Amino acid sequence: MKYSYNWLKELSGTKKTPEQLVELLTMKAFEVEGIGKVGEGLEGVVVGKILDIQKHPNADKLQLTKVDIDGKKLDIVCGAHNIKVGDKVPVATVGTKLPNGLEIKPAEIRGEKSEGMLCAEDELGLGNDHGGILILDEDAKLGNEVSEELKLEDNIFEIKVLPDRAHDALSHVGMAREICALEGRTFKYDSKKLPSKKGKKLTVEIKDKNLCPRYMGAIIENITVQDSPAWAKNMLKKLGLKPINNVVDATNYVMLELGQPLHAFDASQIANRESQIEIIVRRAKDGEEIKILDGSIKKLTKDDLVIADHKKALAIAGVMGGEGSGITAETKTVIMEAANFAAASIRKTKTRLNLQTDAAYRFEKDIDPNLAELAMARVLEIIKMFGGETVELSDVYPKEVAPWKIKLDLDYINNLLGEKIEKKAVSKILESLGLRVAGYGSQITVTVPTFRIDLKTQEDLIEEIGRVYGYEKIAAVAPKADIQVAPANEKRSFERQVKNILVGNGFSEVYSYSFYSAQDAGLAQFGTIKHLELQNPMNPEQALMRVSLIPNMLKNIRENLKNFKDFRIFESGRVYWSNGSVLPRERRMIVGAVVLEKDKKAENFYAIKGYVDNILNRLGIENQYYDDFDATPVETFDSLWHAGRRGEIKIDGPAYAEASAGKHDHPIGFLGEINPIVLVDFDIHKRVAMFEFDLDALQRDVKIEKEYKAIRKFPTSTRDLSMIAAEKIKVSDIQKNIKKAGEKLILDVQLFDVFEKDGKTSFAFHIEFGADRTLESKEVDETMQKIISALESNLKLEVRKG
Amino acid sequence: MLEQKILNIKIEALKAIKEARTTEQLSDLRVKYLGRKSELNEVLKGLKDMTPEEKKKVGPMANMVKQEIESGFQEAERLFRSKSFNFEAESIDITIPGKEIKQGHLHILSQIQNEIEDIFTSMGFEIADGPEVETEFYNFDALNIPKDHPARDLWDTFWIKSEGKERIALRPHTSPVQVRYMEKHRPPFRIIAPGKCFRNEATDATHEHSFYQFEALVVGEDINVGHFKFIGEQFFSKFFNRDIKIRLRPSFFPFVEPGFEFDISCTVCDGKGCKSCKGGGWLEIGGAGMVNQNVFAAAGYPKNKYQGFAWGFGLERLAMMKYKIDDIRLFHSGDLRFIKQF
Repeated sequence: MKYSYNWLKELSGTKKTPEQLVELLTMKAFEVEGIGKVGEGLEGVVVGKILDIQKHPNADKLQLTKVDIDGKKLDIVCGAHNIKVGDKVPVATVGTKLPNGLEIKPAEIRGEKSEGMLCAEDELGLGNDHGGILILDEDAKLGNEVSEELKLEDNIFEIKVLPDRAHDALSHVGMAREICALEGRTFKYDSKKLPSKKGKKLTVEIKDKNLCPRYMGAIIENITVQDSPAWAKNMLKKLGLKPINNVVDATNYVMLELGQPLHAFDASQIANRESQIEIIVRRAKDGEEIKILDGSIKKLTKDDLVIADHKKALAIAGVMGGEGSGITAETKTVIMEAANFAAASIRKTKTRLNLQTDAAYRFEKDIDPNLAELAMARVLEIIKMFGGETVELSDVYPKEVAPWKIKLDLDYINNLLGEKIEKKAVSKILESLGLRVAGYGSQITVTVPTFRIDLKTQEDLIEEIGRVYGYEKIAAVAPKADIQVAPANEKRSFERQVKNILVGNGFSEVYSYSFYSAQDAGLAQFGTIKHLELQNPMNPEQALMRVSLIPNMLKNIRENLKNFKDFRIFESGRVYWSNGSVLPRERRMIVGAVVLEKDKKAENFYAIKGYVDNILNRLGIENQYYDDFDATPVETFDSLWHAGRRGEIKIDGPAYAEASAGKHDHPIGFLGEINPIVLVDFDIHKRVAMFEFDLDALQRDVKIEKEYKAIRKFPTSTRDLSMIAAEKIKVSDIQKNIKKAGEKLILDVQLFDVFEKDGKTSFAFHIEFGADRTLESKEVDETMQKIISALESNLKLEVRKG
Repeated sequence: MLEQKILNIKIEALKAIKEARTTEQLSDLRVKYLGRKSELNEVLKGLKDMTPEEKKKVGPMANMVKQEIESGFQEAERLFRSKSFNFEAESIDITIPGKEIKQGHLHILSQIQNEIEDIFTSMGFEIADGPEVETEFYNFDALNIPKDHPARDLWDTFWIKSEGKERIALRPHTSPVQVRYMEKHRPPFRIIAPGKCFRNEATDATHEHSFYQFEALVVGEDINVGHFKFIGEQFFSKFFNRDIKIRLRPSFFPFVEPGFEFDISCTVCDGKGCKSCKGGGWLEIGGAGMVNQNVFAAAGYPKNKYQGFAWGFGLERLAMMKYKIDDIRLFHSGDLRFIKQF
């Protein structure tokens, strides 16, 4: 909310400069988000009276004016037409530099001399109105500086009042009270007396007392609706409100002063019954419509509260008035409303109807019902200045709210703040905030005034004491705690370990959003997968929660290809699977991608496979194998992968046997090339290979501690073997046959060459032999023979000899 | 007699080695002085016919001389080798770049998160986790942010379409982890909860709808504001590697009372006032406060038995401060030109 320094100063009596006040409030109460000066730099703009207006001989749109600025008469050329002889206007004299940078010099405009400028509002830095020259009050003193005449010079603070203090601090009086407390003084507000005017012309009936705890209505007669005086208009403008007329401006002025929204109705627009005015506060009927002040028609429900006569709704209570019942130039009799409404109900209504009004902004935060009478007294006093006479006042307030008490344990203050504050200081702070303190010993009783709705518990009071006392005085002290090792978060440690291994393998880590679009899901062939959907996405690009890290990874690759030819990237993050329970299943996944500069013979695939082997081995897993795709569960994303170049990563071993009933294959993820058709859909014109691990599944397999294997004492011997296959054959089958035929003597079989020629494939392996003794050359030769015949007979391979 | 002869062999051999001018001459000399038919070898062969006393005298001496001559040869040979090597012919341009080693880079936020986790772990904090898609209860209700309360406006939340009765949303802060942890543990404890959070805010250079938050929670029977200041100063001093002071300003978060905004002394000027802190000497970091008793109650603790503090801040902000990054959107851009700088 915007606050005027001048107004706060007048109410609080502070002697601080605007800057000192900002510092004080920021450190002890509220964040001041901005401070703006108004009315500065208007030296030389004075009050002038128009003596004569003539048409400009050479320009249709311009006029020649003669202006009196207290004795001196000036000729000024002017473009605006809202002026008439006798008007008092702001005159920027020669030599003035206006806030917008314009410097006034003697000039000749189309052959006519001009010795100054008549100013519009915006040229004075006051509002945005450039509709015409600002017309000043008739009693403005000729030659007087306009900034002085209009009390323009001020500092406007933008202060962030959070919901806990919205009850009392969204007003100048509330802020002034705060300033006094922070300066160690007690605030006094000169509250006005309510006229005692009971009568029978106005009846108020509250149908739902929970939604409307209080309703005050006053009949004001003999009002002349016109513009507000300059001081009121200027204050409203400085604080961002648009002046409308003296009645509406008075309600807004009081709202800014006290925080109580008010509403004024034209009595002639309220349906009478036997010359009695009847105000009914009731829930709307489902489907009931009302045309409101902004010109729109709103359809209401029974959860909304309206102010009505016996025929129709006149206003949406606490949110906005109806169009028909507002104040107009013809209004003679006003019904003034000062009421209190239930915050939650106002909030629901304004949220559903999307109506952000100053009234709703305050009512939704819960305000003190006792504030209504202060505000009513004040507004009636102001309106009296415009001739308005209060003839009747009605007040329906079934359950009066009284101050409440909180027992405060003095030791608790010190225990919670970590600072010993003397009882005397505590009492002084609380009293300066308007609270009453009583009691002896270590427990005091604090009486809270009804405007401090936020103070309900001891902790609430301790906060008040702490901030006013000064948090800076609290010393930093080490807590007393047992020395103990923090329990490890094994999941996080494991994730960090895997990420470090990937970085060691040259992968860089990317972060991407947890959402993607329905279109992305379609392109990745996830169209049939049920995704979690955002109810209020930023845009369609971010409408679905990801079920896989791959689609955003593909977008990342596309973008990075603009700058890099080859790279390796990975992401670690969660994916979200809707699974029928309240919360989705969140899986921790890790995806890596390899993009090589060239890919002719599935180099990307073999690169990613090499990395996967390396990662698993670094984690202590050695019994992994790669299985043809089992395309059953949806989670395999079958069509996302290249149908001929992908596999499931499985681990064979006791770890799984233990975890899952003796099965020997334990899937932990997938690897392969991304389907080239999908790649093109993502605008990637290269081959890309990826792996995707489920981190939890992977972690289950690395629980086994690494174990040292003794280094061989006896020399091993290596033989090479090459062979030609006429038909398609898997290297893993060849390796299996070699190992089987060689029995215990084979330590390792490594493929070191493979090429195709004339439709046949040639393979070459290193075979390593060894045992717990030195092997005889003859033994190895014999085993080689067994291997050769096994390969020839089992796999129909042509083994090259010699 | 024999001793003198051996000594003469040595003198003669070493002299000859010194005078040799080619490797060929050297190898001829080697045959002459150390070969099978050399005088010295004859002496060594004759040892077996000597008396034990003679053997004892002559044996070690002859062997020593043999070694001395041998090292004389080695020295001379090395000298010849080094003279003959042409370094000039093999000289290269050492300004040509070395072979490119492709390195991986951990994302800067991961690095910062690791660093923070390590500092807190060293102070005995446990790392807690919770779901990113959370129920309305844990996101708000349990944190003393009731439905239809204007305080809800402090968080712009992404809600998820759900068929169930309970509304679910992407967590707008890591605070739900506090309640989940407290439901399963009794004080005293010290935890941190880092993680991804989401807010429905338009993105620009300083706003991002997906971000990483960091939350610390310390609960015991006598934890107070002074303790928070201490832990905060410890952490930030270690993180920024300089003495950091904490400043508290009043603020409001429904799950704490009292609530604070906390600032740290400027990491560039130490509070004197500079460009980084816009002259004020302090940098805004995050929110904090003493845990509201209603939150303890929601987690199933008796009211007014425990006290604790909670504080949170954004990782991005720390990274931006530490590395002078001027656009928050870079973190989720996946752009390797950014990632590879760290």
